[in-house]
Amino acid sequence: MSEETLKPNYWKSLGQLAKNEEYEKFLHREFPENGSELTDDVSRRSFLKVMGASIALAGFAACRRPVQKILPYTKMPEEVLPGNPLEYATAFPFMDALEGITVENHVGRPVKIEGNRLHPGSGGKTNIFGQASILNLYDPDRSKFVRRDGQRSTVEDFRKFCADYFSDTGRRIAFVAEANSSPTYNRLEDQIEEKFPNAQWITYEPFGENNALEGTNIAFGQRLRTINWFDKAKVIVSFDDDFLNPASTKNSVENTRQFADGRRVMATEEAMSRFYSIESTYTLTGSNADNRLRMKTSDIEQFLYALAAELSNSVSGLSAFSGYSNQFSDHEWIPVLTEELLDNRGDSIVTVGRMHNPDLHAVVSAINKALGNAGNTVTYNEAPHLSDRNNQIRFSELVDELNNGNIDAVVFVGTNPVFTAPADINLEGALSNAQQVIHLSDYYDETSSEANWHVNRAHFLEAWGDGFSYTGIRSIVQPQVRPLYDGVSDIEFLNMILTGEQGNAYDLVQETWRSFYPNNFTTQWEQTLHDGLAGEEIFPEVSVSISGNFNARANEFTAKKESSEGIELVIRPDDTIFDGRFANNAWLQELPKPMTKITWDNVALMSKKTADALGVEAAGLGKAEVEVVSITVDGTTVKIPAWVQPGHADDSITITVGYGHEGMGRVADRAGVNTYPLRTTEHMLYATDISVENTGTLYEIACTQDHHSVEGRSILRHATLQEYRENPDFSSYFEAYGADLPGEAYAEEQGADSPLSIFDAMNEDEYPDYEPQWGMAIDLNTCVGCGTCTLACQAENNIPVIGKREVSRGREMHWIRTDRYYDGDIADPIALHQPVPCMHCELAPCEQVCPVAATTHSEDGINQMTYNRCIGTRYCENNCPYKVRRFNFFNYSEEFLTDGDDPEIIQMAMNPNVTVRFRGVMEKCTYCVQRVNRAKINRDIETDGRTMKPVDGSVHTACQQACPADAIYFGDISDPDSEISRVKQNNRNYLMLEELNTRPRTSYLAELRNPNPKLA
Amino acid sequence: MAQIFPKWADEVPQRLLLGLIIFMTALVAGIWYYFSPEYKAVGYAPEQPVPYSHQLHAGKLDIDCQYCHTTVFESQFATVPPTQTCMNCHAQIATDSPKLAKVRESWETGEPIEWIRVHNLPDYAYFDHAAHVNVGVGCESCHGRIDKMEVVYQAEPLSMSWCLDCHRNPEKYVRPVDEVTTMGYKAANQLELGRKLVAKNNINPPTYCQTCHY
Amino acid sequence: MSTDYQYVPEPKLVKGDHTFGSITELITRTPLSPTPKLWYLAFGLANILLIALLGAITYLIWSGIGIWGLDNTVSWGWAIVNFVWWVGIGHAGTLISAILFLFRQGWRTAINRFAEAMTIFAVMCAGIFPAIHVGRIWVIYWVFPIPNQMGMWPNFSSPLLWDVFAVSTYFTVSLLFWYVGLIPDFATMRDKAKSKMAKISYGIASLGWTGSFRNWWHYEKAYMILAGLATPLVLSVHTIVSFDFAVSQVPGWHSTIFPPYFVAGAIYSGFAMVLTLMLIARKIYGLEDIMNIDIMEKMNLVMMLTGNLVAFAYFLEGFIAWYSGYIYEQGIFWLYVVGPYAWGFWILMFCNVITPQFLWFKSIRRNVALTFIISIIVNIGMWFERFMITVASLATSFLPSTWDYFSPTFWDILTYIGTFGLFFTFFLLFLRFLPMVAIAEVKGAMPEADPHNYDDETKEFIEGSMEPAMVKQEKTV
Repeated sequence: MSEETLKPNYWKSLGQLAKNEEYEKFLHREFPENGSELTDDVSRRSFLKVMGASIALAGFAACRRPVQKILPYTKMPEEVLPGNPLEYATAFPFMDALEGITVENHVGRPVKIEGNRLHPGSGGKTNIFGQASILNLYDPDRSKFVRRDGQRSTVEDFRKFCADYFSDTGRRIAFVAEANSSPTYNRLEDQIEEKFPNAQWITYEPFGENNALEGTNIAFGQRLRTINWFDKAKVIVSFDDDFLNPASTKNSVENTRQFADGRRVMATEEAMSRFYSIESTYTLTGSNADNRLRMKTSDIEQFLYALAAELSNSVSGLSAFSGYSNQFSDHEWIPVLTEELLDNRGDSIVTVGRMHNPDLHAVVSAINKALGNAGNTVTYNEAPHLSDRNNQIRFSELVDELNNGNIDAVVFVGTNPVFTAPADINLEGALSNAQQVIHLSDYYDETSSEANWHVNRAHFLEAWGDGFSYTGIRSIVQPQVRPLYDGVSDIEFLNMILTGEQGNAYDLVQETWRSFYPNNFTTQWEQTLHDGLAGEEIFPEVSVSISGNFNARANEFTAKKESSEGIELVIRPDDTIFDGRFANNAWLQELPKPMTKITWDNVALMSKKTADALGVEAAGLGKAEVEVVSITVDGTTVKIPAWVQPGHADDSITITVGYGHEGMGRVADRAGVNTYPLRTTEHMLYATDISVENTGTLYEIACTQDHHSVEGRSILRHATLQEYRENPDFSSYFEAYGADLPGEAYAEEQGADSPLSIFDAMNEDEYPDYEPQWGMAIDLNTCVGCGTCTLACQAENNIPVIGKREVSRGREMHWIRTDRYYDGDIADPIALHQPVPCMHCELAPCEQVCPVAATTHSEDGINQMTYNRCIGTRYCENNCPYKVRRFNFFNYSEEFLTDGDDPEIIQMAMNPNVTVRFRGVMEKCTYCVQRVNRAKINRDIETDGRTMKPVDGSVHTACQQACPADAIYFGDISDPDSEISRVKQNNRNYLMLEELNTRPRTSYLAELRNPNPKLA
Repeated sequence: MAQIFPKWADEVPQRLLLGLIIFMTALVAGIWYYFSPEYKAVGYAPEQPVPYSHQLHAGKLDIDCQYCHTTVFESQFATVPPTQTCMNCHAQIATDSPKLAKVRESWETGEPIEWIRVHNLPDYAYFDHAAHVNVGVGCESCHGRIDKMEVVYQAEPLSMSWCLDCHRNPEKYVRPVDEVTTMGYKAANQLELGRKLVAKNNINPPTYCQTCHY
Repeated sequence: MSTDYQYVPEPKLVKGDHTFGSITELITRTPLSPTPKLWYLAFGLANILLIALLGAITYLIWSGIGIWGLDNTVSWGWAIVNFVWWVGIGHAGTLISAILFLFRQGWRTAINRFAEAMTIFAVMCAGIFPAIHVGRIWVIYWVFPIPNQMGMWPNFSSPLLWDVFAVSTYFTVSLLFWYVGLIPDFATMRDKAKSKMAKISYGIASLGWTGSFRNWWHYEKAYMILAGLATPLVLSVHTIVSFDFAVSQVPGWHSTIFPPYFVAGAIYSGFAMVLTLMLIARKIYGLEDIMNIDIMEKMNLVMMLTGNLVAFAYFLEGFIAWYSGYIYEQGIFWLYVVGPYAWGFWILMFCNVITPQFLWFKSIRRNVALTFIISIIVNIGMWFERFMITVASLATSFLPSTWDYFSPTFWDILTYIGTFGLFFTFFLLFLRFLPMVAIAEVKGAMPEADPHNYDDETKEFIEGSMEPAMVKQEKTV
């Protein structure tokens, strides 16, 4: 792995490429055109005629005044009010689960995704994938046209081909498709299987739900979807299940919301769930555990059986385990867990990681049943689209059949198996035996290049569709913009194969829905479109009972005592780019991974002990380069940078897949290492017999946090629930430092409420009573550290992507970051997350030092950053104790916006109400002032000027609106009845670095943990 | 020994000094005037694709501003009217006028007319029409006597200090909301009326940066 | 009992057997003689560096501050370090010429011209950095209070703004002071010059100086007034530069001892730089008689004093960190010593605390070679002091999550080295074309300048007619 192949120099080189125009730009005007201004070229393609202006700059003559064109509508559509964005409800399909969203649409341009408040699943919230999916829409690297044998072709040609080739219904066709819950899609699937008797349909997901379904099949004799209701649970026991992480679960939004609800404590008497996590790698979910047990993934099966055995003594239904024992039977956790679970029968949840083999899922299901959780905290529901056969097995069968020449055509619908398939399955080779290989995908990826036909897929914001949420709430997916690259939707694609006609997805979807709405269809259809969902009815719940052959199976797999000697390798989907499908999404690539804070790369995680054994050194302050290790499984070797992960199980290495694409796109290529070669059918989750060596070569990792201990500084205050009840004011300055707040005593003498400052004079009557006073509070207790706030902010505020090299130089641009600290022994510390936006200090140190008054205070209490006044001395940044200011060291926005062959396309993703920042200016969190100002103006108008104070709860910052844990509160603190005022009254409320007397408007609610004293 | 310099050399320093002072003053004054928006921006009157005359429509025919600029009371934009709006009348009137060729073409093809922006604020300055007209800032206060303009030109400098003039003392400029679109509106006693209106609609024009820059 | 004391005459400031005439010869010789090869060599070298500097600045403005190693945590790096370092060096000149003048220190005359020149060029080098380190240099004029259509004033509470005024004032006054001092010497040059070109240019520069009593009378007054004006500036400039740090609240910056500590440090480095240059010049231009060992020793004494003041300031910083009980101050000081920049701290300790202690020994103070080495070490040390203050403090401030490690890029280094090009380009021009010692003033400090008590034959003072100041007598009965 040479230095060259490792270092993505993509953005920088673009920068150099853009330098020339950039320089002219700065001659012409100070700030680059922002999203509101599009060229004709784009507007012609867009759904409605866009009102905007192009920079028709006639060279230097235009220095004085750039001529701007205004393109009005020819016919003004009814609902459109130029300048006021419209919100449409739709849904974001992630595998076979829809996330209910609404899309902010600026005269034909979708620019921001929010959760659909009416949707019980998302409840107005989103996760990182939902937020980032809008960037995929405008990704210039998306496949732009149909290709036949790599040559440019047209949709029409493909249609002709389908009409001709598939006219022969005897064809032996193999469909390999993504999981998809769409009724229309599945209707077409059935019709296809009907029309082509020799066709076979394989649903393939590299990180699918199959094992869980098989598990319930073993336990209950039925493939059922397991739904955990975390808000109802008093005790949660997770075996390696990263259920808060969007990469590991389909309904992370729902899980996070419910989990957070179970943790939200606003008064000492309120209850809080207790969460036990048993896992190898330190996951996002594990970092929220009250008690965490680090254990090799290969041991977890045995541990689970030991627990089942212990439980079998007290509850019926686990008889298969009575008398069973193994090396974990006398583990200190077993009696504790048993006691907890028995004390909370019906109110507990036992869950296991999605990729663990069906046996564990079966046992967990049985335990939940035995404990009476099934039907209360855990439900097993019947989803119509979950096929009744085991896909993994069929996928390997497929390859055999291909090699035996039993298949004429392979049709891939959206998947990229050549990249993701298990290494032992030689798909590439097998494909050559088929006459036709057809591939529908967003990108011209690894599989596309193997296909005879590549069809470019339409983004979900470009096409009609439908489907179910994870729990089974039905929604329609409605397009926000006409396909930018004339992409074909899955539905139309299948329809072409079925009928030889492209058809119209809109009609096809309606056709399906007519069966749901037999009478007065139109009204119900429109209602559904408007709400974004068809009622709150979910998949039918099945009252399960242990199937007859469970015991038999149980005896089988308890018999095998897998020894786990030596180092194991655990393979997981990546935290930010999942299985690789988001690899070309620059926002996600640059989002720090929740635990490691690494960007743009995947690494091999291991404990300090394991690292020492390998002679691997941890990265840290002044050391960005880490050793590369070579990992060998079944003769396949992959070289990957090693990373010390505190709290990781010893003798265990975790790697993530999805990186190291070739030819997928400019962002994805050359970022990270492709680790799929280490994943085989036998080792989908972990491999035990592996060999690891330290190659000694060094590789630079772009990590956004170099130091991981709070160094005894009380900036992130936390206590156990017990301590909180004994001492509700534990988070006060006095309790934290055992001393009074400096200056407090004197302030009291003077009758002031906070320590005096020489700057007070400047503050007198700064805050008039007709202005609202904005403030924010972040509840560290409910915050899980997922990073959704960061992405929501990036999408809302036109924050550029700067690329790996710049991040590794410590120049990340995110306005709200999530600090992650470790507390305790490096072998097994607890991890704490702290989101840090601008504190909007009332006595802001940054404001005092700016020589040109570019950062000042507004009358509604916001610390303003005026980009166009900034000359870039960066003095404010130095003087900011929280280091939340971000400087445009280069012309990042230009490099990010004018990218590749379609320079303006990403501009369409920009929020027209936020200035795109130019090189050399400082920027930072603004409390989403564009939203605040709009709300004030609207309020002023609708009250005929009586007040400009928006109604409480009518203004949301982007981070707050997206946060699935509802950890962020924002509002008017001058209104004593507002939610924010009440929250700030809470005794857990504290100010970070209060002793500096900066008087931040953003405060924190101290974190609580609820560990079991027996395990202390 | 021989003198190096002639007698007049003694004068040189004083004269140089004097010249320098005059030059510097001229320089400052020049920049002051010629680099100001008053000089650079005011009077900008680009030729529009369609020779639309506000003087005729708004002046002679006395059509209300809002007939075309429909969204001015609800949106940050006043909206340049869609071709549709023109055709409302010109489907009947002057149907074959060569001046309207572009309009008819746009109507048939659906391609928009490319108007040239006259009042052109920088991207980092946000202006909201609704916020202003709803509290009684007249169209003409910023756009001048449109009803007298054959070709629309920029009447005011639109510079920051110019905005601040009004934001600091609104009473000098505001008018009753129903008079907003009136051209050539004159109050009997502007200051007195202004003070009343400011009190009535409690107008507190913000003067902090984020009022316009974000 | 009684003790008798011998009369020990104050050593002559100008060594060797010199008359006014020979002094004039000695000094005017260099500018009026043809240019030596060595000079061209040095000048060429300096020019190469100067071009490198201009190149670095052009590329900087073209592509952005990002070419430097700065980041979100360490937003000020070498640019500011170099700024403070050069300004510090720019202190010696005015101190020597103004303050020592007011204190009637005759020995200053040997080096004042030299030191002032150095001051001016050093401040020029310093001035570059605050200008180029901003993100948008094309709007930097916003820091000046000019009426404008935005209706905006600069923020007068920002130390950076004070800097702008402080440094520009200091530069202007130093320049004037230097020039005024030059006028009589320009006249001398004019009268001694052979070529017409030289006559005219020196003539213009000397502003028609005739050497009349009125000329001298005005000159003395002007010089005195300027000295009075410059004296507070010597203290104010670096005081205000130190405010950039002291007024902010970064741990390691926010400290009340910064002003005196910075001024002491500035004089320390300033004298070191003067020594470095002087010791070279006196050799090359054969000025050992004027810039002699006594002068060197006196300067070494000043360095010893200021050096120990600086060392004391370091000690105080540590003490205050501990005594204040302010955990962030304690944290940063501890991190200086053992943190990621500890190497810088120990270099600094060696250069600035150990080195000056050698100057307690007379033998070392009077040893040219050793003094030369020490002077260079001191300047290295002072650069590292500024580096530790600026970079190390920022790198590890309040929130550990934001801690970061700054490492310079090629362009950081090139820009710094380039400023030496600027400095030496000007300094070499000075050495080549201007009298590098104040002719008139040095004569004033010679015994001959005193018409009394002076024997023309013996060229010695006449016993018994000593000025009281020069008598060292005491009688105890």
